[in-house]
Formats: sequence, structure tokens, C-alpha cells
Amino acid sequence: MKIFICDGTPDCFFTAVFYSFNEDCIITSDNEIQLSLDSEVIHIKSDAEKSERVKQGILRYDSEATDDILLVLRSCDPLREQKALEYIRRLLQAKSPIKKAYNLREVIDFNDIIYKINGETHRLKGLLRFMEISGGALYAPYSPDNDITELLMPHFAARFKAERFVIHDVKRKKAGMYNGYEWIIGYAGEAEICLSEYERAFETLWKKYYKTVNIKERPHEKQMKRSMPVRYWKYLPEKNDLE
Amino acid sequence: MLDAERLEILTESAKYDVSCSSSGSNRVNKNRGLGNGSVGGICHSFTPDGRCISLLKILMSNECVFDCEYCPNRRSADVPRARLTPDEICELVINFYKRNYIEGLFLSSAVFETPDKTMELLCETVIKLRNIYHFNGYIHLKGIPHADSALIFKAARMVDRMSYNIELPSETSLKLLAPQKTKTSLLLPMKSLRDAITYEKENKIRGNKILPAGQTTQMIIGASPESDGQILKLTEALYRNMGLRRVYYSSYIPVVQSSKLPAVGAGLLREHRLYQADWLIRYYGFDVNEIVGENENLSPEYDPKCAWALRNMHLFPIEINTAPLSVLLRVPGIGAKSAYKIVEARRFAKLDFENLAKMRIVLKRAKHFITCKGKFFGSESLAQVKTSLLLAGSAEITEQISMFSENSVAISALTGEM
Repeated sequence: MKIFICDGTPDCFFTAVFYSFNEDCIITSDNEIQLSLDSEVIHIKSDAEKSERVKQGILRYDSEATDDILLVLRSCDPLREQKALEYIRRLLQAKSPIKKAYNLREVIDFNDIIYKINGETHRLKGLLRFMEISGGALYAPYSPDNDITELLMPHFAARFKAERFVIHDVKRKKAGMYNGYEWIIGYAGEAEICLSEYERAFETLWKKYYKTVNIKERPHEKQMKRSMPVRYWKYLPEKNDLE
Repeated sequence: MLDAERLEILTESAKYDVSCSSSGSNRVNKNRGLGNGSVGGICHSFTPDGRCISLLKILMSNECVFDCEYCPNRRSADVPRARLTPDEICELVINFYKRNYIEGLFLSSAVFETPDKTMELLCETVIKLRNIYHFNGYIHLKGIPHADSALIFKAARMVDRMSYNIELPSETSLKLLAPQKTKTSLLLPMKSLRDAITYEKENKIRGNKILPAGQTTQMIIGASPESDGQILKLTEALYRNMGLRRVYYSSYIPVVQSSKLPAVGAGLLREHRLYQADWLIRYYGFDVNEIVGENENLSPEYDPKCAWALRNMHLFPIEINTAPLSVLLRVPGIGAKSAYKIVEARRFAKLDFENLAKMRIVLKRAKHFITCKGKFFGSESLAQVKTSLLLAGSAEITEQISMFSENSVAISALTGEM
């Protein structure tokens, strides 16, 4: 079986899809994939023209599918490319939108990924925490499961219109930066920050509020953890209260 | 800057208010200010009691001239008192919002000095927040009964949602337990705000809308003798006549010793059942009369939809591939999301039982009420159906009860609005 290895960019994925037609194959960007004896590994190089042709083919049957596929490619699911490929195949077979054909396994798998990404994005609109650094800009480090920084930037840019802020995906070493007018995405390794004068004071008030607003006679930790999984606690001041 | 002690006192007094939702407003960021609304609402944190924090819920003051029987801040209670200035509140909101701790402000207050004086300062706070601090985030403001209507309208122009708590499900109980609040003092402002909202909607007035997220209310359940049937009738009337977005229920727990109040709490199960019935009225096309009789209570064993289905077994089973949406919504175990999914999916292919399972539609309850391509997988005997529904429900009930099992819970009454 052929294994197409891409570099993780959408263009490279669509190029791989171009080569994959009528082939029994796997598309992945995972370099450590387990190979079986009969597998033939092919490294794909992005080809803008081929990628565009695939996108046009998809567009013919569903104007929204490309956006969905781009979303799925942001997933942390190791099978994301494969699931996207299977969805595309189903779409080309049906020759009309299949997003709501929940009777098909491929559609359910594909929608599950979208559900998870949208879910995490929504969750982090609430759970992201900014710190004010000296000079007044805001800095929010986080490490999401999926690659969602680009999805969060428009939300916060609309909200903190006149602020300057940085959302830093520590795991992927990338950051979204907003200067009060527009935002960009860039590489960001480790950040050295110097907090503003008032930062600790407001953080303390917030922790106090969090502690007080809880009804401690009515514990329901399970519910709390269901809504706010422990993996997100690292960057929440209220969950790192050492007092 | 505000000190931690006053923050603690005024949060402590506000935390039992049930409503924390930040949904319903699409307020946009204007003049390069801070914040905007998010129609679906956003939760920013969750406390160990499982509740979400969306808004900064705080009282301006807990110094009260009212003496409501059930309230820990009533005039005659011996508790520490505190007050905040409008600027202290604004500064706290802005700084919490910038750090993404909160989605907005839920501001309420005890009635200090006079209702007008209180409302005036609440009004000043929200005007300052909007016009001086340029805050465009969500604000939920509690209305003060007996306050001047000009003040109320001035405030309503500034905020996203307002609420007057009707406190108790009947006028008799209100007279007995909250003598300074009258039915008129709660319903009159609610009505005039409703009229203003309707007027703007009908005349398609644009720009700075009054209360884009509407009005809500809250009542205490179990402090007075009303039946679930009466409560839900009232709820239905509030939705229909007052155009409310939500009615919140808070189960009464004895916090104050009084001969006028019952010694035992109502329990969370009753509150839970009322919310389930409330949902059936708002989203599932049920009439109150179908759910519960005027002087009856909801069944503790079965959720209200199951109870209704068991009384109407002659309508079932229904065929999943042909039943209209309104009928699918009435099947126990099938929620709104599942019903919509079924309607979408069956346009592509006839669905069988396996399809439903793959679509993650929970069939524990539903299987007794549906057929898939004519096949029935439920139980034929009514007794068996009942047992199976009880089993399906008991897991969920245990969870509800366990929230409520600790004795010390008595201290933390859900006391409604201050």
C-alpha cells in the first residue's frame, strides 16, 4: 500500500489527495507512522496547481467543504488527513453535500473532529487568561490540544479592540499578535515577560472571588472537571492558588 | 483599589443568585472600547461546586432596609456589611475583563437608604461603565422594587439584561415572607420594560437597543406551599405575557430560623424536575396542562417527558423514518439535538437502529417508544418499560441527590435576590 507523507500544510495535503485518486493509500503527516512490509512511502511536495485543482473539484459539489477540511487539518488527531481524505472521497461519490449524512461512518468521524475543534475553541474563549505586562500589553500563554490560535485571534481582536495582546501556543511555539489594529501569526519560542505593577493585585482579587463564589457545602468536583478539564488548569491562576 | 475584605462580603451575599448566563446579546464593540457580547454566552471558569462563572456577580451593598424572612442580609440580621462605589466596581470589571476572567458584570444590591437612592447609584455605575470606561461587555442588572421608573429606564438603556425576582410563586406567600415587596412593585416595572422592548421591535428601531438580552426572573421553591402545577402555570404566564427569556428556580434551604418558614429544604430533585418541565414548555412544544395538573406535583421517579409518555402509551411507538419533528421531540430520551439530527440524516437514507446508535442517540429510554424501518426493539409489557425507565433515570437522580447530601448544606441557602 502507498503511504503519502505530507509536511502538515493544507497545500501539501491537497496535493497528496491529487495523487491518491484510485489508489488504496494512506495520507499522513506523521513521520513516525508504523510501516507494514508491503508499504511504499512517498514524500509529497506541495504543488500549488494540483492543490488548487483538488479544491476546485471539491467546490463543485459543496461550497463549504473546503473550510471544514481546513478546520479538520488543525486537529491533533493522528488520523486527521486520512479522515479528511475519506470524507472527500464520499463527497465526490455523492456529488452533493454530505455533511449531514449521519448514516455514513466517514461523515460521523469527520464531524466528530470538527466538533472537538469547535468545542476547544469555544472553551478557550472562556479559559484563556491574559496577564498585563509592563507597558500595558496583554499576554496569554496556553497549550491547546488542537492548533486553534488562528481561530481565537478574531474573537479577541473584536473584543479587545484597542488593546495590544499576544496569544502564545507554547507547545507549537507559535503566537498570534495584535497591535490594536490587525493581527498576525508568527514563531514564538520562550517568552520572557515582566508583569505590570498591578498584575499580582488583580490576580489575588480574582482568586479571592473564585474562592468566595463557590458554595463549598455543595461540592461537585466531577462536574467542574467535566466542564474544565484538568489539562487546562496549568494556565488558570484560580487553579494555582497556593494559599 | 478595592480591598479583598469587601469583595468577599459582597460576593458572599450575591453568590446564591442562580442566573449567571451571559447569552442573548450581540452588543458590538464601538468607539474602540473594551469588550463585546457573545450571543451563545461564554463560561470563564468553574467552581468546585460545579457551577460556571461567566459574570462577576456582586452586590453594590448588602446594607438592607428590607426585612425579607428568608434572606441572610435582611435588616434584622447580624452580618458584616459593606458597600462599593461606582468607580470601584467599574475598575474591577475592566481589569477582570481585560484578563479574560469574566464575560461581564451581574450587578445587584440590597436596598440601602431608599429604593431610589439605590437605583440611582446602580444607574450611575452602569452609565459610567459604558460612557467613561467604554465597556461594551455584558451587563445584567437587578431591578430594585419600588424605584422610580425614570431611573429604571435610564439603566435599561445601558445594560443587556434586567431582572426583577418575583421571589415566591404566589402573592399570598410574598406578603407573608417578603412584606416590603409587593406583587405590583415587581410586575409593574417588568411590564413596562416588556412594552418598551416590544415597541422597539415592532417599530424596528435600530442602534442602542433597550435590554437586547431581555428580562429574566427567579423564584424560591419550597419555602411556601404552592404545587409544581401552580408554579409551572405561573412560569408559562411569565413566558407568554411578560416575554421573559428565562425563569430560574432555586430550591429553598432553611438558613434562617423562622416560624413562617419550613424547617426542611425542598431538595435539588424538585428544582431539577421543574427545570426539565420548563424546557419542555420552551423547546419541546408541550403545554403545562399536558405535563402536570393544576394542584399536582411532578413525579420524582420519572422525568416529566417519560411521565407524559407513560400516560400516553397509545401514541407510541412511532416510526423514526417518518414521524414529524414535533413528534420526535416528544419521545423520551430524544433531545432537541438528536431530533434535528434524525430529521437531517433520514433525507439521505432510511435509518435503522444501528445508525441511531452510531449517531450517538441514547436509546436506553427511546427504544420503548420507536420503531426503525418497522422494527421494534423495546419491551412489550408496560411494567417492564417502567422498570427500564426507572433504571435509566436513577443514575441521573443519584447524581442530583449527591450534590445535596451533605448536612452542612443548610448554611448555604439559595436565598434569591438581595
